[in-house]
Amino acid sequence: MSERIRKGFSFLLALTLVVSMFSITGCAAEEEPTDDGTEEPVSDVTKGGTFNFYISEPAFIDPYNLQESEGTQVGQAVFDSLVAFDPITSELKPAAAESWESNEDATVWTFHLVEGAKFHDGSDVTADDFKYAWERICTPSVASEISYHLGAVKGYDAMQDETATELEGVKVIDDYTLEVTLNYGFADFEFVVGHPALAPVPKEAVESDPAAFSEMPIGNGPFKMAEPWAHDQYIKIVKFDDYYGDEPNIDGVDFKILADQDTAFLEFEAGNLDFTQIPTGRIQETIDKYGESPDGYTVNPGEQVSLGAEQAIYYLLVNTTDPALKDPNVRAALSMAIDRQDICDKVFEGTRTPATGIVPPGIVGYEANAFPYAKYDVEAAKAKLAEAGFPNGEGFPEISLEYNSGSGHEDILQLVQEDLKAIGVNGKLVGSEWAQYLDKLGAADYQVGRLGWIADYPIMDNFLYPLFKTGSSDNYSFYSNPDVDAKLDEARTTVDDDARVALYQEIESIVGNDAVSIPMFYYRHTRVASDRVNDGVYSANGLFTFESCWLSE
Amino acid sequence: MFKYVMRRLFQMIPVFLGVTLMLFVLRIPGLLPGDPIQLIVGERELTPALRAEIEEKNHLNEPLHIQYGYYVGGLLQGDLGESYQKSRPVTEILGDKFPNTFRLAFAAILVEIIVGVLAGIISAVKQYSFWDVLVTLSTSVLVSVPVFWLGMLLQMFFGIKLKEWTGGSVFLPISGMGNPPDFVHLILPAITLASVSTAYVARIMRSQMLEAMGQDYIRTAMAKGLTERAVVFKHALKNALIPVVTYIGIDLGALMGGAILTESVFSWPGVGREIYLAVLQRDWPVVMGGVVVVVVIVMFVNLLVDISYAALDPRIRYGGAAE
Repeated sequence: MSERIRKGFSFLLALTLVVSMFSITGCAAEEEPTDDGTEEPVSDVTKGGTFNFYISEPAFIDPYNLQESEGTQVGQAVFDSLVAFDPITSELKPAAAESWESNEDATVWTFHLVEGAKFHDGSDVTADDFKYAWERICTPSVASEISYHLGAVKGYDAMQDETATELEGVKVIDDYTLEVTLNYGFADFEFVVGHPALAPVPKEAVESDPAAFSEMPIGNGPFKMAEPWAHDQYIKIVKFDDYYGDEPNIDGVDFKILADQDTAFLEFEAGNLDFTQIPTGRIQETIDKYGESPDGYTVNPGEQVSLGAEQAIYYLLVNTTDPALKDPNVRAALSMAIDRQDICDKVFEGTRTPATGIVPPGIVGYEANAFPYAKYDVEAAKAKLAEAGFPNGEGFPEISLEYNSGSGHEDILQLVQEDLKAIGVNGKLVGSEWAQYLDKLGAADYQVGRLGWIADYPIMDNFLYPLFKTGSSDNYSFYSNPDVDAKLDEARTTVDDDARVALYQEIESIVGNDAVSIPMFYYRHTRVASDRVNDGVYSANGLFTFESCWLSE
Repeated sequence: MFKYVMRRLFQMIPVFLGVTLMLFVLRIPGLLPGDPIQLIVGERELTPALRAEIEEKNHLNEPLHIQYGYYVGGLLQGDLGESYQKSRPVTEILGDKFPNTFRLAFAAILVEIIVGVLAGIISAVKQYSFWDVLVTLSTSVLVSVPVFWLGMLLQMFFGIKLKEWTGGSVFLPISGMGNPPDFVHLILPAITLASVSTAYVARIMRSQMLEAMGQDYIRTAMAKGLTERAVVFKHALKNALIPVVTYIGIDLGALMGGAILTESVFSWPGVGREIYLAVLQRDWPVVMGGVVVVVVIVMFVNLLVDISYAALDPRIRYGGAAE
């Protein structure tokens, strides 16, 4: 027997060797294309190389329906909108428009385009292409889900009702001048036009074969599609040689579409990805191994983990029309009873930070501690509840804590439920399916619920107007304060940047004092870059900036 | 034989209609949460005019039996509708995915046949030897290990550790199909997908071979002075193979329907994962189209398996006088 077993092991050993040799030959092709040796050192920056970037399958990469993070990531590399955002400060910088101005009440905007900019098919980028792209988004038969970006533009409603086929408010003055008239003054409109969905598209290419265009869009950005989108596999983009702006350092990006975060992280560990999501449970270990980015956004060798705050907030909404929750003192008490740090630690391994206002960091005008009651103070909470006539919660009815089930919100609300018990308030957890949940919120058939809100543009208006303006469809708190409404309208027409931001800060402070909603936490990045990525910036709005980064050998 | 095949083909019609009906019933508003119109509309504002237009286009305003008629009519013409989420025809989405699933399924079946059958034969012929112990032990381990965990273990070993140990020269790719699709990308997913079935095939093969080897006709053949090889391959194997073929046939049908776990772990763009994601997003046209196509494939594969019995066992004759 032992002789046979020994023979068996030697056979196994031989088999392993054969398999290994086979995989050497099999994988030779795998390694080739990453660096093609075109480096020519300019100062200490290395040129060339292909960036391997993890995404999950995007919904769309054609600007007309760019909405979720994955498609937007591809879209912003292939397309340039009129303006761009600084990836760290979110301040505006010129892109397809080299300059722009508005009239005094911010109702008419004029954009001056860069002359000589080209699409990837060689045609010129002109004001007509912007007009065409925007009208395409607003055409009901195109079925774009994001036409609301242009809701402020004159003629938008007529296009939605199909009583017009052109946007009345968009006028082509000449090839390089675009004039936009709005229905109302909107001083932040310059931020809206920075959204990648509002990029120009070449009419001829779109209309000759819309399906092909959706699979391989032709843009005006620093990178062009190398081949059509290979669904569920990859999207390849390469440097566009005739780009009007600064030439990128890298040759291109391979977006590897992977089904699963854990697989992506394995690919990262195997050296096949340069940027990926860190799976839950492995964050601390990854920080220890790869080092943390000092500002949370910029990654360099040894400082590879990006943990910066995102432009998004998780908050509890309170139905202000509910008899039990009408009194701001009650809402303030609920807000102060919640130990946000404890929830961040227990549920999120510290990948969220407690929120102190409804506007997250990274938004122009962000102020810490904007909501006075967004803090953990059980004694103060008890005092507020007593002030409202419910000392130690006596006589206060049980309230419903509602959430959409199946997405982990129950864990959070369970901790909230426990925290509320400490001030004598009993909560009842109620989960429903997403669509049904939204119906309940819309019908004010709830007491306390949860939602997340992600910025489309890095402006305070994007949080304050939809969430707190009387009658807004996203104002599920049914909050109505004429003073806030008036100030929101005033801010939109305040052209002076500082004065406008000051006004928004005042509005945030008013709704904070009214404790209209209960900010819970800001989202944080949990991404890691490989050690060959230099000067890579993963912005607060969750998009990687490929233009400025470079890859060491 | 011809009569038998025709009868089987006719039997498929009620199965096909039954399956489509069950899937259709699941889509009836109110039975499962989620309004299909809201899903189609997404974030657009749902005006009454838009609702009417979508109802009209998708025949959602017709009585249920008429809707079903439209659906089956479309199916028979190869029209599976359009995905709610992706705004692409379902035939196009599935058309992208089925070839990948077939590639993986055939690779896995090859592993099952070669490794499973050989291991079973060796373990039976060399009963109680090292090889028998190895096969028995490893099949026990394989049937009890969760597939996704085995997949990740293989990825970790062949994709990462082996690469580290050899300074990056020896490793196997751990996700995707390669560009263009190549053979090395198939190795780990095929092994993972085949793992459990290979273990079963080896076990069935072993017990069938042992049973066959104990039969009188084998003893007779041995007594005639035939070589062991001739006895094993010519006499025992052919008889032992029938249950194995049945198992592999059923498994082929199942594998062609896609493998959610393996496809997810290895980011293999196959049909199983597509249907699974569509279920999560309540993208009914993709779910229904995918399941209908899978059912048809399974029915045809089963028919082929039944026909292949005749080739293996001369006693089995279809459509003959026995009726």
